[in-house]
Amino acid sequence: MNATPALVILIAAIVTNNILLANFLGMCSFLACSRQIDTALGLGAAVIFVLTCTTVINHVIYHMVLVPWQMEYLQFIVFIAVIAAFVQFVEMFVERFTPVLYYALGIFLPLITVNCAILGASLFMIIRDYTLAQSAGFGLGAGLGWALAIALMAGIRQKMGYSDVPRPFQGVAIAMVVTGVMAMAFMGFAGMVDIQ
Amino acid sequence: MTARESDAAERPGAAPEESGGLFGFRFWEFFRYQKPMVRVLTATLPAMGGAVYFFGWRALGVVLVSIAFAVLTEWSFCRKRGEPVSTAVFVSAVLYALTLPPRVPYMVVIVGIVVGIAFGKEVFGGFARNVFNPALVGRCFVFICFPVEMTVQWLAPYSGLPGGFARWARGADALTRATPLRDFQAGESVAALGDLLTGSVAGSLGETSAVLLVIGGLYLLYTKTADWRIVVSCLVGAVLMSTALHYSGVTAVPGPMFTLLSGGFLLGSFFMATDPISAAQTGTGRWIYGFLIGALVVIIRGFAGWPEGTMFAILLMNTFNPIMDHYVREVQQMRKARAGVG
Repeated sequence: MNATPALVILIAAIVTNNILLANFLGMCSFLACSRQIDTALGLGAAVIFVLTCTTVINHVIYHMVLVPWQMEYLQFIVFIAVIAAFVQFVEMFVERFTPVLYYALGIFLPLITVNCAILGASLFMIIRDYTLAQSAGFGLGAGLGWALAIALMAGIRQKMGYSDVPRPFQGVAIAMVVTGVMAMAFMGFAGMVDIQ
Repeated sequence: MTARESDAAERPGAAPEESGGLFGFRFWEFFRYQKPMVRVLTATLPAMGGAVYFFGWRALGVVLVSIAFAVLTEWSFCRKRGEPVSTAVFVSAVLYALTLPPRVPYMVVIVGIVVGIAFGKEVFGGFARNVFNPALVGRCFVFICFPVEMTVQWLAPYSGLPGGFARWARGADALTRATPLRDFQAGESVAALGDLLTGSVAGSLGETSAVLLVIGGLYLLYTKTADWRIVVSCLVGAVLMSTALHYSGVTAVPGPMFTLLSGGFLLGSFFMATDPISAAQTGTGRWIYGFLIGALVVIIRGFAGWPEGTMFAILLMNTFNPIMDHYVREVQQMRKARAGVG
């Protein structure tokens, strides 16, 4: 059993073990949707919500259903199904109650289904043997960390509108370079809190 | 007037043309003259002199190797764009060299400066278009790739006269000494504040002497090359944070004087945080930027695994700047709109 308090796990998941900048999960939507600050923030908010909820739901399902029936080998497929179903539910909910946000997010909302950070968080939670409270803290922290990273990236990319990037480096290449330097900077927090 | 000459004359900030030159090499056609950058170079001279005095002439060797490869890297990119090499590349190279430990192998110097200039500056389109401080991108890269060369081999400084001015470098069997920050982290007795002021402690080439750095820094402030708001807010941030933590009983954080004088904090806050391009662009943003650098230095030194946090703090704030500027501008516009309506 992991003894780290849930609050520490939350903070660590934002800064020291940032799911994007330390584990490099969720890169695809990070690179694709970070051109504008508003879109990036919308997607970040959606990821925070989905990550927190699916981590908790997956924790319950894993320990209430899969472990008692000794079906842990099904975890991948079950987790993916839960995430897909949950994103569907969120999509319908958002469309019904806040159509403005729904149209602002567009295709990015269903794309959260295939964001590897979401599945990654559920798997980390199993590997690190978190309790329910810890899982909730980790899910929320990982979501906040991901949203922070994409917001920073969007800011930098907006500023880079003034840059004169050489042709071979335009587009995804320069975004990867920036992500690399951001990850190096975030290494400064390494060793501050250990959540392993 | 040939086409090239008229081009040079029309370029803003171009220095007066020298005719002929050595082997037909016209200095200010190859390099772009940038007055603020020349001032920063002047301001690093005391610290560079200190580096030679404390660690021998090899320090100058490190600086020159760094400059040579920085110019080479920038030139290989600039050639494609048809621009001259900026004077700023000298500043990046010198500041980078001053942050290296005295026994750093030349290989490491070269790798770092090439990565810093190429991936910290040139891939963004060269001078004035970079997001991160190129010197720190280079240093961070070698810091992570070569931890032994960058963090273990410290040297005791020379003392007395002529000090390092008569020597090349201490040999491999020379006495090594831990830096004050490392001593503090290990819980051993640390250097006296007086030694930190003069700089007769172990550390990176240009970071040890607080007095020499402040002399250079004051020159930068006097000539308005560095923004005083950034320097002041950096110092205030570090003093407030370390005072609050130290006197509330956190033993991992040293007192404010030790925080200011030890490690690369003064070098970072006077010379690196004030880089006008990677710093925040709005006035309010600059206050926040500096303050958070100071606070982050204290936090990283105290709680993260590294003894020193100035480099990480500045790089982190470089990352935060664009979005901070965005929101500072947005708030300002909102206020202006509200004032217009009212």
